[in-house]
Amino acid sequence: MTLDWSIIWQHRGDLAHGVLLTVALSVLTMAIAVPGGVAVMLMRQSPLRPLSWVGTVFVEFFRNVPLILLVYWAFYVLPILADVQFSAFATGLMALCLNVSAYNAETFRAGVNSIRKGQMEAAMAMGMSRSQAMRKVILPQAVRRILPVVASTWVSLFKDTSLVSVIAVGELAHTALQIRSQSFRVLEMLTAMAAIYWALGYPQAKLVDWIHRKYGVTE
Amino acid sequence: MDFDFSPIADNWRFLGYGLLVTVQLSLATIAAATVLGIGLALGRLYGRSWLRIPLTFYVDSMRAIPVLVVLVWTFFAFPLLTGVSLPPFWAALAALTLHIAAYVSEILRAGLSSIRPGQVRAARALGMSGPQIVRKILFPQAVVRMLPAYGSLLSVTIKDTAIASVIAVPELMRQSDTISAQSFRPIEVFTTAMLVYFLILFPVTRLVDAFYRRVAHLGRS
Repeated sequence: MTLDWSIIWQHRGDLAHGVLLTVALSVLTMAIAVPGGVAVMLMRQSPLRPLSWVGTVFVEFFRNVPLILLVYWAFYVLPILADVQFSAFATGLMALCLNVSAYNAETFRAGVNSIRKGQMEAAMAMGMSRSQAMRKVILPQAVRRILPVVASTWVSLFKDTSLVSVIAVGELAHTALQIRSQSFRVLEMLTAMAAIYWALGYPQAKLVDWIHRKYGVTE
Repeated sequence: MDFDFSPIADNWRFLGYGLLVTVQLSLATIAAATVLGIGLALGRLYGRSWLRIPLTFYVDSMRAIPVLVVLVWTFFAFPLLTGVSLPPFWAALAALTLHIAAYVSEILRAGLSSIRPGQVRAARALGMSGPQIVRKILFPQAVVRMLPAYGSLLSVTIKDTAIASVIAVPELMRQSDTISAQSFRPIEVFTTAMLVYFLILFPVTRLVDAFYRRVAHLGRS
């Protein structure tokens, strides 16, 4: 078997563009899914029954379907439901946002609820308003507990962006698979794809471990 | 907009077979990954350093690479390298196992390390050997403590089997894709598939949580 690794260097521009799109997808998804998660969490905590019901259904549904199926679904269903043709990138972004928002909502809820009720009561007994207590007592502690989990979600998201390749978003996985099928350099291209993901993902995984060690709650 | 769910009713055997493959692949993956994951965790915690360093590297690498990449590599590149080509189901089983085992080992390692060192010292003082301590003191408690995380990994495994559709494993996702392309009814077919996945995954996580609540006291010390 003859291997020709120069194929990777020849396509460095395409691969770099793929990496750029992968990073852009991850950043955009997280930028939308953090406020999205807060919104869903607030809906879920709302005293209005229908609203909290919608929040709960959102979280449970989108956490319990495979992301790749959600991507396909968004690709075929959104244009028909909304009557607008979205680009593949926008469709992939939406599917990722739905998924990550659901996870974030659950993370935020768990983080806020993990602060003992006594703290809110104590803060109100000191004469703070509910929002003051939330802002000055509960949230600063909750953020420390939420951060490591969001960091883990980020790493999962970074890897999950590869799934939008099935609807031809030109991110790293799709780019590499395209070059593979054009050049027939299967082993070289697939190994390069794995190596690039590894080089990008490994430091992130290590950083997340460090964040868990620094902020993680040990009972 | 009118909906027509008849393609699903007409092809229920075809889709049902996909569901069966999904269940088989999930069960086989979780079983194999659990065995491999236990080996990885024990090797990392109690192995010699020449073993520990490559195992740590392996686990962290698997956590850094998307499962899609592992699947595609195992199916398309591995045969070129070795000359052994695996049928899609077995390639998917191998790739998913290699991937999920890394997570099993991380969960188990966290469970084993969460048990207070005093217990190990007490067991040593009673004259137990290293393997005895792991088997009789650490493992039973760690298994209970890792249940919630293991439950979510179970659901991750089932969800990841859908990614095996990209290497043409005839599981639910792939079969749904085929039917949707044949019938031109993607909305109905994919929505049904989503509901089916939800109906499998939701009870799995709930059942593991309910089981954990009943046995949680066994893991406390």
